[in-house]
Amino acid sequence: MATRLSTLWKLRLVAGAAGLLAAAASSVASAATQEELEAKLNALSTQVAELRSELAALRAQGAQSVQGAGSPAAPSPVQGPASAVSVGAAEGEVGGVGKVAWFGYGEFTYTRPEDDRPATTADLARFVLGAGYRFDDKTRFVSELELEHAVASADDPGEIEVEQAYIERRLTDRTFGNMGLFLIPVGLLNENHEPTRYYGVFRNLVETAIIPTTWREGGFELQSNTDGGLRWNVGLSTGFNLSKWDATSSEGLEAPLASIHQELALASAGDLAVFGAVNYTGIPGLRLGGSVFTGDAAQGQPGFDDNRITLWEGHARWNPGNWDLSALYSHVHVDNTAPVNTTLVGNPTLIPEAEFGWYLEGAYRLPLRNEMTLSPFARYERLNTASSYAFIGAGLTPDPLDDTEVLTTGINFDFARGVVVKFDYLQFLHDSRSARFDVGIGYQF
Amino acid sequence: MSRFDPNPLWPALGIVAAVAPISVTIAATYLTVEAAQKALFPAADSFVPVVIALTDDEKRAVVDAAGPQAPHGELRAWAAKHGDDLLGHVFVDNVIGREDFITYAVGIGVDGKLRPVEILDYRESHGGEIRNKGWLAQFAGKSEQGQLRMRADIKNIAGATLSSEHVTGGVRQILAIWSVALRPTPAN
Repeated sequence: MATRLSTLWKLRLVAGAAGLLAAAASSVASAATQEELEAKLNALSTQVAELRSELAALRAQGAQSVQGAGSPAAPSPVQGPASAVSVGAAEGEVGGVGKVAWFGYGEFTYTRPEDDRPATTADLARFVLGAGYRFDDKTRFVSELELEHAVASADDPGEIEVEQAYIERRLTDRTFGNMGLFLIPVGLLNENHEPTRYYGVFRNLVETAIIPTTWREGGFELQSNTDGGLRWNVGLSTGFNLSKWDATSSEGLEAPLASIHQELALASAGDLAVFGAVNYTGIPGLRLGGSVFTGDAAQGQPGFDDNRITLWEGHARWNPGNWDLSALYSHVHVDNTAPVNTTLVGNPTLIPEAEFGWYLEGAYRLPLRNEMTLSPFARYERLNTASSYAFIGAGLTPDPLDDTEVLTTGINFDFARGVVVKFDYLQFLHDSRSARFDVGIGYQF
Repeated sequence: MSRFDPNPLWPALGIVAAVAPISVTIAATYLTVEAAQKALFPAADSFVPVVIALTDDEKRAVVDAAGPQAPHGELRAWAAKHGDDLLGHVFVDNVIGREDFITYAVGIGVDGKLRPVEILDYRESHGGEIRNKGWLAQFAGKSEQGQLRMRADIKNIAGATLSSEHVTGGVRQILAIWSVALRPTPAN
């Protein structure tokens, strides 16, 4: 219809222009005086101006946009900042239906332990490419493919992982249903884990060792939010598999849940988990939230029964002015570990029944020119990956670990939109030998 | 110089706009353009499409004033009028949120002051917190780019950082376009 209307208007313009030319010729031929000629020319000028306005308006109507001078009539739907003034897209393109959107992030790290030079490493820690595809205005596919440590082969340390791959369906204006492999809505980092989103070269220890960021499960999720700033998520998903616990390795005490998560890689799914999260952002600059994830990790495996794992956490983030303040507390409990640990006696690493971690973080974002930002920060963390063990007999029950306390100080330098350089220094307060210096480069697009 | 042209052809074009087919954007939009226009200027009885043509110098001025921008989609503009009186302008812009476009409306009164921003549509499951009315109300009354600094003036939404940064940048750009192209010339 718009095309037909537009064609009619164009025909009208052409006819009008032809008429004007004819009238002009006639006027010149029959002009008796200079005065009459000037009057005719003035009238013609007015009419030409009107037609030009009309044509410009029609063009604008066709492009449905504010046009920069000399910009093409039908530019691409997404344009960079340099041409941002001359934006313009066919309406049907907005939202990218039928288009693949690419995005990604990555980080390079250099780690230098203060008293252990041979342990110094430089790493392309993460290289992530994501693709999204919109099937229609309500249905989207989102994915991220990650390569950790640059090279993945039998002889190299790298891993290739699908970090997310889910279908997102809009159910109402505010409510979405996700199905597939998605990130669990827990803590401050898990859903916002790109290197430009956190302070320090590495993710904080609590949201690595206690909350296994980047933590994803396969299943279904519903989420919604309100005008008042309340967002909620509920879901049914795969969970942990306690039979993956390796009692011969210390890995389980470094990051207990990360050692038994399944990442939807032929995951045992005899037992499923449920989760829920609530976040409030109704007051600008403030975020308050919490979440619970619980499910049996026995998965019907021989020797395992009723091993429910429950993780809960609460978090807050507050941005008064240029300050960025965060706090998080997280706790994990594993049910019925005693019967399993009894069979593991003699091994170095039995299964703890509780773990916890919390941190306080403060940063000051000092704005520089051109949106560059320099952000000194400090973070205090206290965590324990084995704060208690179920009693399995005197002399057999392991002693709980001492709490680990870490003070991290450093600087994030955001020097372009989506690019950050970071420096930090970690001090383990009860183990001076573990101090280290890190440098990192991160990007997100 | 004001680029708003009170051309007598505008009413006719208004009719064209009214009968033109409304495509995917609007079909997927949960607050319509018309509703957003009315919310921004309740006293207006007509919204007349505005054509803006910027010179290269004006475009440079806009880019300088607006600062770095996330990718934008289409931008449209209308003059909000009550009878023959100009009340202000309404812009509907599209800017990338996290991975998809946010459609939002900005109203600027003849005094150059912003109205609360209206979100017409947010298409992703993550980052929808940007529709929080309290956050959008932060823009009301501001009239200069220097009052639209992220974090210092407009609070960040933790968990919707990209969306809040990109919309704030977009509002700065719209204010810059208004300033060079539509700001009413003072009566002499």
